[in-house]
Amino acid sequence: MTAETELDPVIHAPARLRVVVTLATLRDGDNLSFTRLQELLGLTPGNLITHLRKLEDAGYVTTVKSGSGVASRTSVSLSPQGRKALDNYTAVLRQLLDSASTNGTSPQ
Amino acid sequence: MLEDQDMSVQEAAAVVQDARARARKELVISTPLVYMAWGLVWLIGYGAMWLSVRGQHPYTGPSGVSIAAVFVLAGFAIAAVLVIASEAAAGIDGQSVRQRRIIGSTWAIGYLILLITAPAVSSSVSARTLALISFAGPVVLAGLTYILAAALGRYRPALALGAWLVIVGTSCAWLAPATILATCALAGGGALLLMAVIETRLRAHDS
Repeated sequence: MTAETELDPVIHAPARLRVVVTLATLRDGDNLSFTRLQELLGLTPGNLITHLRKLEDAGYVTTVKSGSGVASRTSVSLSPQGRKALDNYTAVLRQLLDSASTNGTSPQ
Repeated sequence: MLEDQDMSVQEAAAVVQDARARARKELVISTPLVYMAWGLVWLIGYGAMWLSVRGQHPYTGPSGVSIAAVFVLAGFAIAAVLVIASEAAAGIDGQSVRQRRIIGSTWAIGYLILLITAPAVSSSVSARTLALISFAGPVVLAGLTYILAAALGRYRPALALGAWLVIVGTSCAWLAPATILATCALAGGGALLLMAVIETRLRAHDS
């Protein structure tokens, strides 16, 4: 098994990274409403939908719609695969930062 | 699109740190504040009742003013905890919400039973037994609730606190009423305040 050395491109975008990190704060088995997530991240609904779709296509998040009309609720949660992807991402990030500080270079 | 722009490694690390700190601040219940609120209620409330019975011969029980102060303080603590929990839990649903309801209901039902039981048995039991039910009972109940919370996988450090409170409450069976109040104030309230400090440090270490 080889260690990953590249940052996951699905997560490596500011908005998606913030989505994944925010959802990772929740306990296993919990989900967050779309509205609260949007409020926390300060994104427009359209923008957040676009990023969630990309994360959902990668299998990193799950969105579930329940109810109808004014009582409708869209909930978002991080999948086990998404949690693992974030763990890998932060591990690679740490490696790159460590090697940069060892070599005295600035990683891009 | 702005959000899809490339990030340097340093920028990504800053985004992770910032998003994690914000999410923890907004979505995680501040348990140090909860421990501190109840720690102060116990320390001041039990302490005030202890001061009112200190030197009583024979023991007749805490003054009405000190008992009223305890209820007022407890009311403030309950309100504060409800506000803290509801703000952090807004928009969150799932397993932890169900667990929190079980924990909260267990504690509330237990307290209600104590509130009903103590006056009901007051005329048929000794002053020492009544003091044990009224003062040590809530400490044992809180301890058992923390153990339940730890068992449900929520606040793991709460297991030690729960066990300690059960020991403190149970040990009151061998103490005089005035000493029960002092023990609950210092060993009970003090433990909650200590837990607030420990939780604050654990959280600072995690971030």
